[in-house]
Amino acid sequence: MLAFLRFEWRRIFCVKKNLISLGFIFLFSTYFVLSGVDEYRQFLSEKKIFLRYEREKVSHVVNYSQYGGFGFRILFEAPALNLFFINSNILQDVESNIDTFEMIEVESSFKGNKLFLKRGYFKDFAGMPLIFGSLFMLYLGHVALISSAYLRFIAVNTSLLKYYVMTTISRFFWMDLFFIALSVGFFYLVGFWGIFFSRQEQSNYFFCLLFQILFLNFFYLLGQLITVLLRFRKIFFFWFFIVWFVCVFLLPEINRLSVFNQSQALESAEKVNLEKFRTLMALEKKFRDYLKENQSVPLDQIQKMQKKFAVQYINSTYLVNTSLESRYLRTVEKVIADHERQAILFPTTFYQFMTGEMSGKGYYGYLDFMDYIMQVRNRFIQFYLKKRYEENNAKVESFVKGDENVFHSHSRLPRTYWIGALVTLLYGIILFILTFRPLKRQVFQP
Amino acid sequence: MITLRGLNINCEDRFWDSLGFEVADSEIYFLLSRADWGSDLLFRVLSGTDSSATGAILYDGRPARDWGKAPPAVFIDRVADVADFETEARLGDWIDFLCAGLGLDRVNLFKTLLVCNFHERYLKKKVRDLPRDVFHQVYLAACLAPEHKNIVINDFIRGAEKGFELKFNKLLLQKKALGRAILYLGSDIFYASEIADRVGFIKNGRLLFEADAADLKEMDIKDLYLKFLN
Repeated sequence: MLAFLRFEWRRIFCVKKNLISLGFIFLFSTYFVLSGVDEYRQFLSEKKIFLRYEREKVSHVVNYSQYGGFGFRILFEAPALNLFFINSNILQDVESNIDTFEMIEVESSFKGNKLFLKRGYFKDFAGMPLIFGSLFMLYLGHVALISSAYLRFIAVNTSLLKYYVMTTISRFFWMDLFFIALSVGFFYLVGFWGIFFSRQEQSNYFFCLLFQILFLNFFYLLGQLITVLLRFRKIFFFWFFIVWFVCVFLLPEINRLSVFNQSQALESAEKVNLEKFRTLMALEKKFRDYLKENQSVPLDQIQKMQKKFAVQYINSTYLVNTSLESRYLRTVEKVIADHERQAILFPTTFYQFMTGEMSGKGYYGYLDFMDYIMQVRNRFIQFYLKKRYEENNAKVESFVKGDENVFHSHSRLPRTYWIGALVTLLYGIILFILTFRPLKRQVFQP
Repeated sequence: MITLRGLNINCEDRFWDSLGFEVADSEIYFLLSRADWGSDLLFRVLSGTDSSATGAILYDGRPARDWGKAPPAVFIDRVADVADFETEARLGDWIDFLCAGLGLDRVNLFKTLLVCNFHERYLKKKVRDLPRDVFHQVYLAACLAPEHKNIVINDFIRGAEKGFELKFNKLLLQKKALGRAILYLGSDIFYASEIADRVGFIKNGRLLFEADAADLKEMDIKDLYLKFLN
């Protein structure tokens, strides 16, 4: 085994083009980690300004009616681990306004430097294994077995199966070691910039790394299989690129289109807003009709009625609207769950889904954010109505006492992580077996 | 000693019919066949990579399957292209691997290289950068590294330069002197008359005629060629 390890070390790390490719991966990874750190620190400084702004805003509000109208914003804060997945997320830099209006919006700002921030593609640390790692592993798989003539020569002195298994294990060992060293190295290196991760983030990151390794090995085995199926022909590079393109770009895109098509079945968000608006307006109409009918009623009586209507609003209209919103959210959750199930089917689609969730800004991060918004909104409405009808003219007290206006998202592994990992492992085993059969035929019966 | 008895090979539309001969120790037997596929097919059968044959193949009186994991002979196949051996490693590393990983005898390997006047500067080069003849030397040395009494060669010298051919002949004669039984499958009647002790002529999958090399020299080679190999 040691001889195989030593030989494969030399075949991988003593070849100029391999070193250039690995150096390229290392340099780009460094750049993306640094830019991730930079964005994270920039976010923290912007968060401070955001909090200061929100505090000052409340101090200038005259009364609770105005406070209810203006409300306050909730900032979505991704976990520190997001710096490795800065472009793999689903949500952009988002926030939401909590006020007494019926609409719940999740917004992203394009003001200033954010206009120039183009998210997506693979421009983060997690994108390196997906794009360049997969390509490089596909190439290493391609050159691993050299040629059928070479294998015929080898097979005279040792069993072909032994050579095949040992070479594959040795190559896995070195390449996995490289990617593990890269990921673990950067994970601890960011500590130099004062960024530390929670225990949960650490364990998630290492599980993510485990899947990454399975994912990269899958590409290596795919490279081997294609080479053998094409009988080591030189036309290979064309096929090689096509297969890589299909795996890395086309299948995830098809998966994305599929989830988009599924989401078309969802009721329009505007329709939900309209429904909520109508429910609210029905109550308001009742109040307006009451005012029309009782124009001579004294002001204190009107205020009492207003309070009564507010209680009625909390007990009926608000509950109806909240349940509408919750029901809508649960249908969105179903689409997400379907998308997750589909993503399991192929390693690249699952990798993309997983990195999205790891960033804390994935689909489930969105659901958590929406749930949080509804919880805070619920508390705010009660706070607002209490203050509005009991002490409207008193000095406005801020609803936000601590950091309620910051939503701390968590990095998470998909619930189907182990299924996804097992499916990828299964793919790997199938590729490994599928490669050996035609390989044996080519070597022994050319 | 290599013995073939009633060997029938039927592979697709190609066949060998009732092939039988014996290669004694310290003998070079040259089996002349015009068709490449014929010697390739027989070589695969002899080396055990093709199992479509019936009949007996004995190495030192024992069937090949009785040899277990150890190969019953040294098999030296024709090398098509240096590029087929592009391991992306330096030659020295490759040889290290062959010795440590596949268990080839390093001393034997370098002995063969020395006979071929191999220069050690090539050890630092990659296989793809080796001159064709140097690559052939290394390949040959690797094949001959295991000590074995029987050697089967498939048209190895075809296309090689004269210089290498001479070195190869020297090696074959050395092996013969050491008591090895050498079976050479080829198509070059002139080379056969130069190197072999006995020559067998194959036509249409049958062994038609056997002659001692000494007798061969007295015969009209052109006539033999037209009769058996055309």
